[in-house]
Amino acid sequence: MNLFSLLDLNELALGMSKLSMFPLFDTAHYVVSTMALKEQPGAVDVARRSPFACWFSAMLHCFGGAVLSGLMLAQPSVAPLSNTGSVLLASVVWYLVFYCPANLVYRCSASLPVRLVLSGMKEVSRTWKVLGGVTQARKQYTDALLVMIAVGWARGAGGGLISNFEQLVRGVWKPETNELLKMSYPTKVTLVGAVLFTLQQSYRLPVKEHHLIFAYTVFLVVNKVWMMLTGSTSSPLAPLEGVLYRTFFALQPEQPSCATQVYPGTLAHLSGKNSDKGAAACATQKRTNSAAETGGKRSVKGSHTETRKDK
Amino acid sequence: MELLAFLNLDELALAMSQMSMYPLFESAHYIVSVMSLKEQPGAVEVACRSPVACWVSSMLYCFGGAILSAVLLAEPPVEPFSNNSHVLVASLIWYLMFYCPQDLVYSCTSLLPVRLVLSGMKEVTRTWKVLGGVVQAQKKYQNSLLVMIVVGWAKGSGHGLISNFEQLVRGVWRPETNELLKMSYATKVTLIGAIVFSMQQSHILPVQKHQLMFLYTLFLVINKVRMMLTAPSFPFAPVETAIYRVLFGMESTHSPSANEADVSVTSPPETCTAAAEAIKPASPRHNGSVCCDAEQNAAPSAEADVDCSLKLAARDDQQTAAERIRTD
Repeated sequence: MNLFSLLDLNELALGMSKLSMFPLFDTAHYVVSTMALKEQPGAVDVARRSPFACWFSAMLHCFGGAVLSGLMLAQPSVAPLSNTGSVLLASVVWYLVFYCPANLVYRCSASLPVRLVLSGMKEVSRTWKVLGGVTQARKQYTDALLVMIAVGWARGAGGGLISNFEQLVRGVWKPETNELLKMSYPTKVTLVGAVLFTLQQSYRLPVKEHHLIFAYTVFLVVNKVWMMLTGSTSSPLAPLEGVLYRTFFALQPEQPSCATQVYPGTLAHLSGKNSDKGAAACATQKRTNSAAETGGKRSVKGSHTETRKDK
Repeated sequence: MELLAFLNLDELALAMSQMSMYPLFESAHYIVSVMSLKEQPGAVEVACRSPVACWVSSMLYCFGGAILSAVLLAEPPVEPFSNNSHVLVASLIWYLMFYCPQDLVYSCTSLLPVRLVLSGMKEVTRTWKVLGGVVQAQKKYQNSLLVMIVVGWAKGSGHGLISNFEQLVRGVWRPETNELLKMSYATKVTLIGAIVFSMQQSHILPVQKHQLMFLYTLFLVINKVRMMLTAPSFPFAPVETAIYRVLFGMESTHSPSANEADVSVTSPPETCTAAAEAIKPASPRHNGSVCCDAEQNAAPSAEADVDCSLKLAARDDQQTAAERIRTD
């Protein structure tokens, strides 16, 4: 990585890779996760009805990744709760976000500048989680790339992947959708990160660990901030994804609804060629796809309601 | 087993038990599993919408048994994915099966002769899996027969047992039915195999391992081929119904007194129609594709037929009894 030495970023990258996550970045992660929970429909009602269910749900939001990766590696899934400091911190954050008088804490952190900073910090903690998952899997399975990817992915995007069961705690059961069927932006970007870190850890990618940490974190934060500022819901990987999808997974040509359904917003110029027939034929599918493609939880929610209205 | 020695099959059985499953038989297992996934309603649509979900679902089909047995023994459920080459082969087959241009691979493999061979080979892997599960459990629990049976069963017919969760990945949730409520042929036959192998491994059954493997595999393959070629019927259906009637039959033990007759006259037809309704959603599929679903539907329908006729007979008896009482 000559670029790094050229820009004198090597030192910075090394310093960053030694950063401790615990007090600050973890707190940001807990705040953003709990806020995301509060913005789910029905969550406030649950908080009033049963604080315990709400607390449990918040803990699944905050520690979902660690729980899931523990399950996958047959390690105790209550291990994240053994770290008393983190759990106490998360509980305090949960209490303040949900039950603070006049809703003060939520309103403060929901203002755009504060939220921007908090979300950026949360993305930083994602890098550490993915790397933690990959190294955790590598201890047990030295050469199994797939296991490393899976555990890294689970650790980084755990809250999303177990969302069905997290909803069940709150008394919501929506089996017709899950994070695999409609992958959100964080899930996708975590998968990319898990693949990259796995390749790096098994020496297939000629990059040093701290360089990759730095580059991936910058990518995450810049993306997140950009997406929040522009309010755009399409991830920057969407064009690449559309191309991959069209090359590998477009089904037979006799099914136009499948072949032309690629990402309406970003690839309109591509699918516009045969839009006369295709657009009408696969209108419904496009809509569901747009939901699959959106980033951030708020936008997913929006498109959910959209699809529901259309149905 | 003098018979085996007599027919000079001992050598053959020994050679067979040392056969390696990996490249050929495992591939056949993956192909048949992914094909049955593709034949599930809505699976192609899922493949179109989200390839990742489809991949995870087909991996659960291919490695479901290993995952379930790992969960049961508190071993890492990601263990089967640590075998890179197996997962790669399965992924390749998944890709070809779902996304091959012109659907070439699927239409090739769904030809009856090809499918016959592949299904036969898949049944061979079942023996190895059941035995693997039993041995795996025996390492941890020396003398507990039940654990061995359960783990062997889970490993051999895992994808059926976790089918509810596999469906959840595809966004389908049908809690009203599961593999325990309606056991398919594969699940039943695996349970028998698990019991037999557990008894052999704990030296209760005076048979040698390779001989039992040979016999069980032969039984599985012949049955499967017979079921695919002719009318699908579970070979143990008569035994099963006999056991059911002796141990679990409830109504038939009542003596037909006046009041009870009135009550039970109404109940059997109801249960009968309920059973018929329960089979209905399954039967058109089984008519449509001759072979694949034979495994799944054969047993319940055969069972239910027998059941229905039994109950109808019982009902007739009770009706005549009730009439007799009334005329008296």
